[in-house]
Amino acid sequence: MLERDDQGRKVAQRAPWLLLGPGLLFLAVFFFFPLYTLGQMALSSRPSRFANPVFSWEWSNFNNAFSQYGSQFVRSFLYAALTTLLALVIAYPLAYVIAFRGGRFKNLLLGLVIVPFFTNFLIRTLAWKTILGDQGTVVGVLRDIGILGANDTLLRTPFAVIGGLTYNFLPFMVLPLYVALEKIDPRLIDAARDLYSNTWRAFRTIVFPMSLPGVFAGSLLVFIPAAGDFVNAYYLGNAQTSMIGNVVQNQFLVQSNYPVAAALSFVFMAIVMVVVITYARILGTEDLA
Amino acid sequence: MTDHEALRRAEAVRMARQAMSRRGFLSRSAALFGGAVVAPAVLAACGSSSGSKGESGSGGDKSVAISNWTGYMSDQSKKDFTKDTGIKLTYTEDVNDNNEYFAKIRPNLSRGKSIGRDGFVLTDWMANRMINDVKWVSKFDAAAFPNKKNLRAALQHPGFDPDRLYSAPWASGVAGIAYNRASVGKEMKTMDDFFAASGTKTVLSEMRDTIGLMMLADGKDITKPTYADADPSFTRLEKALSDGTLSGTNGNEYVNDLAAGNLAAAFAWSGDVAQIAKDNPDIKFLVPESGATLWSDNFMIPFTSDKADLASEFVNFFYDPKNAAVLTAEIQYISPVDGVADELTKMGGDAAKLVDNPLVVPTDEFLARLSIFGVLDAKAEERFDKRFAEVTGAG
Repeated sequence: MLERDDQGRKVAQRAPWLLLGPGLLFLAVFFFFPLYTLGQMALSSRPSRFANPVFSWEWSNFNNAFSQYGSQFVRSFLYAALTTLLALVIAYPLAYVIAFRGGRFKNLLLGLVIVPFFTNFLIRTLAWKTILGDQGTVVGVLRDIGILGANDTLLRTPFAVIGGLTYNFLPFMVLPLYVALEKIDPRLIDAARDLYSNTWRAFRTIVFPMSLPGVFAGSLLVFIPAAGDFVNAYYLGNAQTSMIGNVVQNQFLVQSNYPVAAALSFVFMAIVMVVVITYARILGTEDLA
Repeated sequence: MTDHEALRRAEAVRMARQAMSRRGFLSRSAALFGGAVVAPAVLAACGSSSGSKGESGSGGDKSVAISNWTGYMSDQSKKDFTKDTGIKLTYTEDVNDNNEYFAKIRPNLSRGKSIGRDGFVLTDWMANRMINDVKWVSKFDAAAFPNKKNLRAALQHPGFDPDRLYSAPWASGVAGIAYNRASVGKEMKTMDDFFAASGTKTVLSEMRDTIGLMMLADGKDITKPTYADADPSFTRLEKALSDGTLSGTNGNEYVNDLAAGNLAAAFAWSGDVAQIAKDNPDIKFLVPESGATLWSDNFMIPFTSDKADLASEFVNFFYDPKNAAVLTAEIQYISPVDGVADELTKMGGDAAKLVDNPLVVPTDEFLARLSIFGVLDAKAEERFDKRFAEVTGAG
């Protein structure tokens, strides 16, 4: 009896590790190993331009990444923050309506949010070039009603870049918000009403706090890829709107400077990590919840 | 009140748990996103090997795998090639940008591994890098390439390959200025006209074409480019891009903007403009009075291919004036092969009309206004590339 119990306990002890195994293996192969090679590359130097970089504790790559590309880093995170904010403002009412007022059309409405994104990412971005083009309807109307001057344009401005980012990453905000809102028991709102709470107060004290996990998840899913994106800045921006992704692309593909590209990626990761942890701390406190 | 408080607290705890698990997942995924720039070693493992290793040389099923730019081949030519030579052709249009293609083949070639191709086509300066810097190309099989004698005299002895042992021009074109006469409101003649024109204007992201055109406007010799000569052009470009005179840089996608009327003027490639002008006669191509750049794309054989003989036979086929004329009629770029004009005339119809177009069959007078951007050694090239990246906002 005792032996069997022991055995059972051993299995029970091992079970979590066995279950974690595939995940850990995945992380080892697709995260830790690439991270290791990336780190190695970031600390390498190039004997000549096209020779393969050699590992040499070349910390100056990090100095270069920091000192030369500060403005692109600032711009990347500023654009990403604005994108996240815009996406939240657009996605929240949308997710709210689908979750609480969607009724039997919920799935259809969700589908309508996602289906446009079956189109290729690049094609969608290039479509904005046409929509925001100088000869396009949007610019024409804005000029007619006086919001844009006769020579003002939308394409190749920060506006176009942030707009493109917001559009491209919107579903990543809508879906987690929808999941969070959908889980809320509508009877809680009824209860709030019974306690003489008006709609706004019910939203502020019940719905919004309970949707915060969705806000948190959506913000990260939008912020992180938006900060690292280079496609939108490349096609919709100009020389003054380039982001860190554009620098990495140029260092990697044009200048063949793998070490600096790797160092830039590391610095980028570190900043994202700090931002995410800070954000988690702020949103994770019970006061806010 | 206490019930409300308790409810809130219970909900907060539940939420915190949810948030925790989600956060744990998210921070791991966040970390993964950051790690997405994978080292070349891993990239190399992803390369395709659609090439046909093993069915080497003559005997058995003969086949070659070729990489080329889009718009550089005609279906007729492909069929003719296989019919005439009995060699099966795997033709892929996967060269979109010299630097990009270089980055793609570098992991394998730098380790001496096959890239699954027996030939690719790259621009002069990249051909120089391939032949003289990294040495990743092999010589043609002279016996399989007798038509090399048809190469136009002007192209026979470039600095980067004096005897054309490693490279054969596939096609040439001109980088100049395209403009929309309706937007600009007048005929343009000079580089200053370009900078003075109102409306959206862009330059090419291909450094040699953009800086080359601007250096020519400064009266510099681009056949022997030095950084000192280029510096004023970089400064002028930097100023124009930051004060809004120029809206930015464009790759080949400028074509769409030009056709849609979003561009008043742009640095552009001749063949593209000819095609747009067919639909919109307001789009003009200008070789500024100061001159324009002439570039050639060159066929080369990667040293990892064991089919240099078949690849040589491939390029040999297109150096037959008859076959070259069929190709030229389709792609409308300047052919490197002597006697193409006569063959085009013989073909009659639209093909015969191309003979009068200096952008397809250039006259000596026209050629005299064009210059080829000279060879930059690896150090100088690095300096040019770095400065260009700075100026265009990417570095």
